[in-house]
Amino acid sequence: MKKILSLVLAVMLVFGIASAALAEEETAKVLKIYAWNDEFKGFFEKYYTVPEGFTVEWIITPSDNGGYQDKLDTDLLNGEQVDMFLAEADYIQKYADSDYTQDITAMGVTDFSNAYEYTVKAASDANGVVKGVSFQCCPSALIYRRSIAKEVLGTDDPAEVQAALDSWEKFEAVADEAKAKGYYMTASFAETYRVFSNNCTSAWVDEENNLQFDAQIEAWIAQTEKFIANEETLTAGIWDQEKNDQMFADGKTMCFFGPAWYFNFCMGNAQDPEKGCSGDWAICQGPAAHFWGGTWLMAPTGTQYADVVADIMNTFINNEEVCTALVAKEAQFSNNKAVNEKFAADPEYGSAFLGGQNDVAVFAGMTDGIKWENHTIYDQLLNEGLQTYMMEYFKGAVDKDTALANFYKHVNEKYPDIVTP
Amino acid sequence: MRKHKGVSYAKWGYIFILPFFVVYILFTLVPQLTTFYNAFFENYRSGLKQIGPNFVGLDNFVKLFTPDKSGNIGMLKYFGNTVILWVLGAVPQIVIALLLAVFFTSYRLNIKGQRFFKTVIYMPNLIMASAFSMLFFTLFSPVGPVNQVLLSSGLTEKAIDFLGIRISVRLLISLMNFLMWFGNTTILLMAGIQGIDQCMFEAAEIDGASSLQTFFRVTLPLLAPILVYTVITAMIGGLQMFDVPQVLTNGKGTPDRTSFTMVMYLNNYLGTSKNYGMAGAISVVLFIVSASLSLVVYRMLSKPYKN
Repeated sequence: MKKILSLVLAVMLVFGIASAALAEEETAKVLKIYAWNDEFKGFFEKYYTVPEGFTVEWIITPSDNGGYQDKLDTDLLNGEQVDMFLAEADYIQKYADSDYTQDITAMGVTDFSNAYEYTVKAASDANGVVKGVSFQCCPSALIYRRSIAKEVLGTDDPAEVQAALDSWEKFEAVADEAKAKGYYMTASFAETYRVFSNNCTSAWVDEENNLQFDAQIEAWIAQTEKFIANEETLTAGIWDQEKNDQMFADGKTMCFFGPAWYFNFCMGNAQDPEKGCSGDWAICQGPAAHFWGGTWLMAPTGTQYADVVADIMNTFINNEEVCTALVAKEAQFSNNKAVNEKFAADPEYGSAFLGGQNDVAVFAGMTDGIKWENHTIYDQLLNEGLQTYMMEYFKGAVDKDTALANFYKHVNEKYPDIVTP
Repeated sequence: MRKHKGVSYAKWGYIFILPFFVVYILFTLVPQLTTFYNAFFENYRSGLKQIGPNFVGLDNFVKLFTPDKSGNIGMLKYFGNTVILWVLGAVPQIVIALLLAVFFTSYRLNIKGQRFFKTVIYMPNLIMASAFSMLFFTLFSPVGPVNQVLLSSGLTEKAIDFLGIRISVRLLISLMNFLMWFGNTTILLMAGIQGIDQCMFEAAEIDGASSLQTFFRVTLPLLAPILVYTVITAMIGGLQMFDVPQVLTNGKGTPDRTSFTMVMYLNNYLGTSKNYGMAGAISVVLFIVSASLSLVVYRMLSKPYKN
């Protein structure tokens, strides 16, 4: 009798659990979004209302050493549920040009009239099929300390500073002047890397997958050699604390480079209420037009909730209210021309951080110069790897040939199909 | 003829050790064999494309031992790095652990508060290696506290880039490994010494042996089996050194790959390209090296005390 009773109880328990699980699956649909940090998650939670019956699961993997791509690739290849994923400029092509992403125009994202052209081109495959959208446009500016510019150039007016720094020759000449007055021109050996690399006229690898150095990359190496030798830059890495410490009020560095996201994401020290120097900053285009980073929302083929994904995409590029909030409250440069132009033309609008300067107007004036060309699926690890191994050379730990040889080894290990010199 | 009908308890013994063998076969032997198998294939990922697996024979091993343009063989360099990092950490680790173990077990010294000391020296082992490395990374960064102290005390004029100098990176890695493992080794060796019959020490004392004589003539020979075990496990652990240098140098083995260990090399092939062929080949080499070194150490250390 006891045995029968316990058997009945056990069976009931199993059925109970199973039915509860089934019921849960019916009520809550889970939208899985892959990202490498929670920057977009913050905007998403503030400005997007998830449709009734949906919950969002964020799968966040830091992108160091390609970790994010590893996780995403594995899950895409294994056919795991991925409803939407974020991608950066350095590797977006790998996904846009693959069968793992789908045409978003078929999902209901059709209006790109307000999006900047390069952001659409970046998310398109070789045949021009659009596979994703960016919620931001990332023209990158020269961000300078007003007080240091006054001392070095005699002015902090953006137009005059731009006139003094609009070519690399002038930039290097000003670096000498800054040095003479006890200031550094830049705080990282890789500060100007993106300004050069974005203007490359060839991709990292040619058609036969041979690694090649563009003249712009060589120019970056030559300039950095000079800056290091003259002590016009610090030897810190681009994300290092040593560099970020230079953004405090007692910092000795005049120039940084970055797009709109840089202010909140990287310049926390400058905005520090006690040690910072908010308001002592301004931006201008600098020696060459370029962009840096940017986050695209991509639509994988595996999603069951194409309509929700399309709605998210539309919200972040075409919803005027949301795009306005991104500019006004989040210091972003949105991917909506109409909204940006509204701010650019508004005489009342100004960024307190930049001493009242209208940054949107400056960024809007720079978007035409941005090119999307010569990208490969390998860019992230090649750009990062080159900086890491060249740093040892710049710091004097190894000679140039050894640094390059180590970079080639790194490339061979990460990408066996690239042929190195 | 009398039939003896006894109960065989032996089968229970086998049943009790069965779980270990099942786990060993599933989680150690099978992966090991598949690794050997993988080493003979070209098998990696390029972007979202899978290349292989194609059988390539010994190609992966040939590639591993092919010198680069400047005539260096990567594998040998990283093996050298690993050995240097291990020796720098393991020699002081075993010497100090042995010393502490003798002190703690000596009935003459009779140290008070042993439990407290044992807990304290074991502590660093409880911290995750990655957290420990992050701590050292921050401490010794160009703007870290160590440099601040050096700068403000006027000992240096410019911040020292500890993580960019070969000798300091190697010493830091060895120091961390030493701190993390000497407690563990001490406790192992203490157990070994406590396993020795106390009358041996008393007899030695009555015969007028000095402490040093007791140590070298009594403790050490009787401790040999445990010592051999400690050295071999430390060596296998050392050859597989990964976490500390990986986190401290962000996976790059800076400077000039001089703190790049064999397992970091292996890991580099596994990340991004999922190159199971090359990673498998490195694992096989690592396996052969560990096995033969263990054999040598075992023979060397256990022979003199065998009669």
